[in-house]
Amino acid sequence: MNALPNPLAQRAVRGDGALAAPASGGDQLARRLAKRYGDRITGSFVLPGREGQFAALPGDMPSALAQALRSRGIGQLYAHQAQAWNATAAGEHVVIATPTASGKSLCYTLPVISAAIRQRAKALFLFPTKALAQDQVAELLELNQAGDLGVKAFTFDGDTPGDARQAIRLHGDIVVSNPDMLHQAILPHHTKWAQFFENLRYVVIDEVHTYRGVFGSHVANVLRRLQRVCAFYGVSPQFILCSATIGNPAEHASALIEQPVTAITESGAPVGEKHVLLWNPPVVNPDLGLRASARSQSNRIARTAIRAGLKTLVFAQSRLMVEVLTKYLKDVFDNDPRKPPRIRAYRGGYLPTERRAAEREMRAGQVDGIVSTSALELGVDIGALDVVVLNGYPGSVAATWQRFGRAGRRQQASLGVLVASSDPLDQYLVRHPEFFQGAPPEHARIAADQPLILLDHIRCAAFELPFKDGELFGPQDATPWLQVLAEEGVLHQEGERFEWIADSYPANAVSLRSVADGNFVVVDRTDGRQTIVAEVDFSAASLTLYEGAIHMIQSVPYQVERLDWNGRKAFVTRTNVDYYTDAIDYTKLKVLEAFDGSPAGAGSAHHGEVHVARRVAGYKKIRYYTHENIGYGPVNLPDLELHTTAVWWQLPQRALEQAFDHRQEALDGFLAAAHALHIVATVAVMAEARDLQKAVGSGDGAWFATPDANGRAQLRSAFGEEGAPMLGPFIPTLYLYDAFPGGVGLSAPLFERREDLVRLARELVQRCDCRAGCPACVGPVLAVDEQNERSLKSLATRVLDLIVAL
Amino acid sequence: MSALADKLRGLRRQAGVQPPAPAPVPPRARPELPDNIRQLLGIRQRAKSSPPRKVAGEPTAVPGETIAPGLQLCEARTAWPPMPPAFHAAFARIDAVIDPARLVLFDTETTGLAGGTGTRAFMIGVGDWHEGAFRERQLLITTLAGEAAMLDHFASWLRPDAVLVSYNGKSYDAPLLKTRFRLHQRACPLEGLMHIDLLHPVRRRWCGAWENCRLATAERQLLQVVREDDLPGAEAPAAWLGFLRGGSAGSLHRVARHNSQDLRSLGGILHRFAADDDASACV
Repeated sequence: MNALPNPLAQRAVRGDGALAAPASGGDQLARRLAKRYGDRITGSFVLPGREGQFAALPGDMPSALAQALRSRGIGQLYAHQAQAWNATAAGEHVVIATPTASGKSLCYTLPVISAAIRQRAKALFLFPTKALAQDQVAELLELNQAGDLGVKAFTFDGDTPGDARQAIRLHGDIVVSNPDMLHQAILPHHTKWAQFFENLRYVVIDEVHTYRGVFGSHVANVLRRLQRVCAFYGVSPQFILCSATIGNPAEHASALIEQPVTAITESGAPVGEKHVLLWNPPVVNPDLGLRASARSQSNRIARTAIRAGLKTLVFAQSRLMVEVLTKYLKDVFDNDPRKPPRIRAYRGGYLPTERRAAEREMRAGQVDGIVSTSALELGVDIGALDVVVLNGYPGSVAATWQRFGRAGRRQQASLGVLVASSDPLDQYLVRHPEFFQGAPPEHARIAADQPLILLDHIRCAAFELPFKDGELFGPQDATPWLQVLAEEGVLHQEGERFEWIADSYPANAVSLRSVADGNFVVVDRTDGRQTIVAEVDFSAASLTLYEGAIHMIQSVPYQVERLDWNGRKAFVTRTNVDYYTDAIDYTKLKVLEAFDGSPAGAGSAHHGEVHVARRVAGYKKIRYYTHENIGYGPVNLPDLELHTTAVWWQLPQRALEQAFDHRQEALDGFLAAAHALHIVATVAVMAEARDLQKAVGSGDGAWFATPDANGRAQLRSAFGEEGAPMLGPFIPTLYLYDAFPGGVGLSAPLFERREDLVRLARELVQRCDCRAGCPACVGPVLAVDEQNERSLKSLATRVLDLIVAL
Repeated sequence: MSALADKLRGLRRQAGVQPPAPAPVPPRARPELPDNIRQLLGIRQRAKSSPPRKVAGEPTAVPGETIAPGLQLCEARTAWPPMPPAFHAAFARIDAVIDPARLVLFDTETTGLAGGTGTRAFMIGVGDWHEGAFRERQLLITTLAGEAAMLDHFASWLRPDAVLVSYNGKSYDAPLLKTRFRLHQRACPLEGLMHIDLLHPVRRRWCGAWENCRLATAERQLLQVVREDDLPGAEAPAAWLGFLRGGSAGSLHRVARHNSQDLRSLGGILHRFAADDDASACV
């Protein structure tokens, strides 16, 4: 929205120029940094600037709206905005996937406001965060005021007071909310919103790329419920969706709403030249492969940029890191208390008024440096910037671009720098500039028919409206699920109808962010606090919440003091230890059914259903940076089992015998290869590393392999027993599996991209700077083998060479 | 079918969902009244050991007569409470003189308190003064399909000039019924009617003086009503659900009696306010 000739933004630019013309643009800074720190820069490229492509304001737009736009300095539209207008006018569902700051919000505000003026039609806006919703309403109100349009827009979220809710339900033309409110407050009370639904014409969903994985699968089901309620009121609203650039916007949007969607992906907004640098902190201890911290580098880059007169935004991964970096920059730039501060921090947890003030100052160009969490990643309007520094990889290429998109002025080149942390994913990505060039590699995926998620939402849907026998929910016949719910006693079947009968409010028990309801809450007891600081999925609890575990929340270390397994609570306190903990888990997989399979090099690849049994036997304490193993602790928790989906690779015994001298070597290679494949697969499907797990074992579940303290494979036939009879066929199998009961659809796309993945994993291992192996490629190597022949790195390469497509 | 059920059960166990709570918890014992209050109220000390009294010959048939498929009507006339005089409803912050013939007292029994679209009324009790007596009419559904007919009957009893009388009905019973009418795609007959919710004048007058302002307290304080073998309101949902799932109709009679007492108390309390108003008007 800030790419539009918005009067405020223009003033900021002018004010800027008048105050102090920047000594250099992002291009000059990029050249200076490249010259001075060439060895730290692993990738450098330039995206050329582009002239704007414009279109006249549509003639069929209400004249009051056109007037309002003109009075706000908008005399024409960008090409993609006009395209969106035409597509919505033709009644199509639309997804707009153009870069940050390309004026996406006008794509939906124009049709929505027009319909509100002409037919008093209503619209529902869904944003992932409250801050964005408030911004959107502020913008709508400004436009409304500019043209005296008489359109009423309100936010409706958890903070909306009870007495205001009734008025919003009755009088809101545009209600701006979020998926959780729709799920828990609006749909279960839809009769109170009857007038709203009867006139609902548009549903706008912004930032749909954030609705992926488990969360996205839930949101797709909430949208099924929304469409079911709409059908009850005799309406079928049109959907307008917006997304950051991802690899499959149309497919993803259409998976969310289960209707065909027209994608608009070419932005008509003008952009200046953009320089991008990938930055790896220098190695400070070559023996240990230890690098300088990302923080020190981000600080240095930001300092240089601000000194050069460039408006700079630094993204940090945690609130704590925001405060640390802000302090470092303030120490340099804000040491004169008589002058207004030049550096500001921006993050969640500040009061809304404080955030609004920060946004205003930034728009007005009074701030030279901002340090923020992801809170500024989405479309909060802060005006134009010159430099964006990412302190660590934000978890997806799409988010990286979205953050880089924060910098950009029309007349002047901008710069984005990604500073890698020591995390294996960061190290992988910073060495692969190709990920950031060309087409976005990531595909957002959802699995709306995940059985447990489906059961939860059919439950909620039955509360909202009775089901008829044979009624479809999405593409599914809901009947068997209804029968399960009837057996449970929450539904009553009478004739052809299933009606809600229980005295409960099911939406309250369904969190959109987890599969089923077995979550653990993490309770912080530091200094007498007794507050919930995080929630952890049941399946991850035994791996991350055992007593003694160091549990990281937003990069802040907490130690688990007590785990109440039955009460689903973990009690933690803040700590300052210099190590992290890693669960020693024994995972045994057994293939239940292969859905699909194909040859893979000398072996084969498959996709199918597996049974996973897992025991956490203990944990290791590992010192930061050096990865020294400094101790062990016991864990005594119940075994877990899970039916889920997986992709797996196998090699026939003959091929193995030719390639390896011993089975031990082959197993070492499999474990190391699994580590590399897991890294690249996590990137490929935009998954959280913990949602996708890896394992090595026999295809029939007879044995499994775990790494010992030296990274070497240990073979076990059952939990707790070391060693296994090496009789019978030896068919080691490398699995990547969904860490949720029933799966969440991660493994099918992995199977589709199996050849890419193996190729990428092989490159990852070969190109890694380490000698014998490291956490960034094949996993921690504690006692490094000097013989390169038998290093984990070379063994992993051998395995990957055997399964790579010929 | 059971294959899916088994699979879902397995997956839910793996996801850490604890099995659903077993049988409903037994009703909590209500706190005994302190001795002095019991004496003041003239309530006899009950033998503590006596088991819940079974009314001899509890009927097994559903209460009332069937007037539509799945819908029962119980009708009764009583002399008490007496019809109030015409009164000015200032006590309910309504500036109008009300003819008692317009009054429609109502009270619902519902499947729970969860709120939202999943809660329904299975009984609507309506009281009015008709032909010189207090008339109670209770609609009770015995199947879910009977709900539409129940709503239609109820709607047919409301004249456009009716004045509703309830206890907490403005925030509870009326919105709930409105939701049910919506779900059956019918206009809501309560819309636009004058509504005297006695909870509010009772609160204004006796808040702080009594331990609470629940109907049971108000009826005891104002009318000296003592309930006999009363089914606590919270147990009504279970009684009806039990019946719906093939259980006995016995406890439905207790629900009906409870609802009936609510209606009569409502009438009594209204009479008290109306008479006060009348008295003050005469001064």
